[in-house]
Amino acid sequence: MKQKLLLLLIAAGTALSVQMYAHHSFAATYFEDKTVTIQGKLVQFLYRNPHSFVHVEAPDDKGMMQTWAVEWGAGGQLSREGVTRESLKPGDVVTITGNPGRNPDDHRIRMQSITRPSDGWSWKGVVQ
Amino acid sequence: MGNVRRTRVWAAFMYAAILVLLAPPVQAQFVGDFIPDVGLDLSGNWSPILHEDFLERIPGPELVNYSGLPITDGSRLWAESWDSSRLTMPEHQCQVHVSPYIYRGPLQMRIWDEKDPQSQKIVAIKNYISTYEQTRTIWMDGRPHPPAYAPHTWMGFSTGKWDGIVLTVYTTHIKQGWIRRDGLPESDQATLVEHFIRHGNHLTPVSIVTDPVYLTEPLIKSQDFLLNTNAGGNWLYPCEEVEEVEGRPRGAVPNYLPGQNPFLYEYANMRHLPLAAALGGAETMYPEYMKVIKDPPTAPKDPLALAEVSPHAVKNEAPNPIPNDGEVHVIPVQGNVYMLVGAGGNITVQVGNMGVLIVDAGTADMAGKVIDAIHKLAPGKPLQYIIDTHVHPDHVGGNLKLRASGVTITGANVTGDIADASKGAAIIAHQHVLDRMSAPSGKQSPFPADAWPTDTFLGDSKVLYFNDEPIQITHEKAAHTDGDSIVFFRHSDVISTGDIFVTTGYPFIDLERGGSIQGELDALNHLLDVAISKHDEEGGTFIIPGHGRVCDRWELIEYRDMVTIIRDRIQAMLKKGMTLEQVKAARPTMDYDARYGHDSGFGTTDQFVEAVYKTLNGKHEGRAN
Repeated sequence: MKQKLLLLLIAAGTALSVQMYAHHSFAATYFEDKTVTIQGKLVQFLYRNPHSFVHVEAPDDKGMMQTWAVEWGAGGQLSREGVTRESLKPGDVVTITGNPGRNPDDHRIRMQSITRPSDGWSWKGVVQ
Repeated sequence: MGNVRRTRVWAAFMYAAILVLLAPPVQAQFVGDFIPDVGLDLSGNWSPILHEDFLERIPGPELVNYSGLPITDGSRLWAESWDSSRLTMPEHQCQVHVSPYIYRGPLQMRIWDEKDPQSQKIVAIKNYISTYEQTRTIWMDGRPHPPAYAPHTWMGFSTGKWDGIVLTVYTTHIKQGWIRRDGLPESDQATLVEHFIRHGNHLTPVSIVTDPVYLTEPLIKSQDFLLNTNAGGNWLYPCEEVEEVEGRPRGAVPNYLPGQNPFLYEYANMRHLPLAAALGGAETMYPEYMKVIKDPPTAPKDPLALAEVSPHAVKNEAPNPIPNDGEVHVIPVQGNVYMLVGAGGNITVQVGNMGVLIVDAGTADMAGKVIDAIHKLAPGKPLQYIIDTHVHPDHVGGNLKLRASGVTITGANVTGDIADASKGAAIIAHQHVLDRMSAPSGKQSPFPADAWPTDTFLGDSKVLYFNDEPIQITHEKAAHTDGDSIVFFRHSDVISTGDIFVTTGYPFIDLERGGSIQGELDALNHLLDVAISKHDEEGGTFIIPGHGRVCDRWELIEYRDMVTIIRDRIQAMLKKGMTLEQVKAARPTMDYDARYGHDSGFGTTDQFVEAVYKTLNGKHEGRAN
C-alpha cells in the first residue's frame, strides 16, 4: 500500500511538473496561512507566463481604493483549466479570494478563487 | 498449504526481481563492450522525479530557511535583505534559473547529440529545457572555455567528457542566480561540475557548485529524471515582462534594511528550530550540529544586526577578468562592434566600410598596441572618431597617439582640407570633459592640447551616423563624473557605458569631478531603459562596461539593484544621525564585498561608501574645475 502511494506521488509529481511552474517561491511571496477577499472592477487581465495577473480596483480594509495585483496560473495551466484570454474583460465586477502578499504596499494576492456574479462564471484552484 | 505456495511464488518473484535489479543496465554493457570512449547515449525526453526535496522544489522554500547550505555571512545578509517584491519588478519577472539550479525545478528536458556530419563524432550534447526555453550546449570537441571577459549566460559555457559511463561536465561563465530562491544568491563567479549518470530509463545528474563569493564549501546536489516516451506536453515557455505592481517609483528596488526583515523568525518558529540553524552555514550541514540544536546559542546569529557585523573586511573573491598582461586583447561583441581589453579602461571599436570609430582610448602607454589591434581589425581603414566617455586618464590617455593615427575626412562640420583635419581623428566628448582636460591660456593643462576633444556638446546628447549605423551619445549628468557619456550603437545593439558601469568593483563616484550617487543611479536606470533583452533577460543589447567583462541587461539590473540597496542603507543610517566613520564601520556593503570590494587602488569600498554618504548628506563640493 505504501509502495502504491509512493508511486502515485511520483506520478503525480511528474504530471504536475509538466503543468506547474516554479518561477518564485509562493511561501516566500505570500502569507499562505491567510486569506483575503476583495470585490471590485477588473482593470486588466494579463494572460501570460510566468504567471497571469488580473488587476482589480477594489477597496482595502480601510476603505481606500487600491489597484490589486492578483497572481494566477501560467497561461498553459489556465488554458488546460478552461480559462482563456477572453474569459475576463475590463470592467467585469469580480469577487476574488486568495493569499495576501507579504509586502502590504504591493497589494498582491495569490488567486484561490474568482467569481463573476453577473453570469456566475467562476474558477477555483491552486496556483503553483 | 495455500499459504506456503503463495510464499514460494512470492519468493521466486522477489528473487527474479532482485536479479533484474542487480543486472547491469543494457546501456552500460553496450558501452563497456563496444564504445568505451564515447559513453552512453543520453538522448531522449526526460521528466524530473520531484519527490526529492519536493517542498523546496515545487511550492518553494520558506523565507529565511537557509538551513543545510554552506553559505557565507555575505550571502546570508544578501538574502535577509531580499524582499520577494523584487520579483514583481518587470526586469526580474523573467529571470531564468541558472544551470546549477534549473534542473531542480519542474521542467521537461530533451537531450540529443550533435554530430559532425563528416566524421559522425559528437561535437556537442544539447539540452533543451522547457522552463524558460533554455538550450544548453555541452561541447564535447575539446574546445577551450572563453576568456574571462566574455559574456556570461544563464546556462553558462559547458564542456564535457565521458569518464566511462559517466558524463562529466564543467561549466563556467554563469550569470548570477539562485542557490535557493528565497533570496540566497549564487554569484557570477560560481562554477559547476556535473556528473550525468544513466541507469536504463533513469538519469541522475549530480551537481557540485563552487562559489567563492557566496559559498564556504562546494554545494553538492542530485536529482533524478525518468525517460519520458510521451514527447507531448508543454515545451514552450514564453515570458513577457509586465507591470505587476502599479505605481512603484522609478528605480525603486524593494529590500529590507538592516534589522528590519519582519520574517526573520518565521521559519525557525514554525519548525521549532533555533534561529541559528535556520540561518544556515556549513556547520548546519553536518550531524555534529545536532549538539548545537540541543543547546542553541542564546544570541541568534543575525548579520543584519549591526552589533554582529564582523570588523574584518571580506576578501574579494572575484579576480579581474582582464588579463593585464601587457597585451591588448580583442573580443567580438555584436554586429560591427568589438571590445579591446588590456589597455586601461575598455575600448569599444566599431568598424565598417567608412572607417573606424572608437569609444575611449585607454592609457597613453598602451596606445601603440591599441593602434596595432585596430589595424588588425580593420586593415586599411582610417580611424575617424574617438568618443571620450569621461576624463580619467585610463580612458583618454591614448587620445594623443590615437588621434594622430587617424584622420578626419568628414563630420564634425569640417572637411579634409582644413588644417585641423590633418591632425587626425575627431575627438567627441561632453564639454565638461574638455573643461577638465584643458586650462585657460597661460596655465598648464592636465593633457596636451592635441589630446583634447575637438568636438564637444553642451546639451543632453549628440548623434552620428557612421558605418551605416546610427550612434547616440547621451550625457549622463553628475554620475561617475560630471562629463559622462554613454554611447549606443543602434544597429549593432551595443552600449558602451564608460565607468558608469563596471563589473570589477563598486562604482567609483568621483566627487572631485562632479560625480554623485543620484546621478550614478539615474544613469544606470537610463541604461536599463535603453537596453532590451532578447529572451528572458539574456542577449539582445550587449553592454561594454568601463572595466570588466562584456555584459547584457541582466548584469546591469543586478548592479543597479546593488547600488540602490546600498544607497538605501546609507540613507537610513544618515537619518539615524550616524557619522561617516560609523557608517563605514557598519559595513553597509558587506554582502557585496566578496564580489566588488577593494581596499586599495582605484575605487575602493571606503571611497564608494564615502561618496554615497557625502552626496546624500549634501556635504560634497560638487563640480570643481
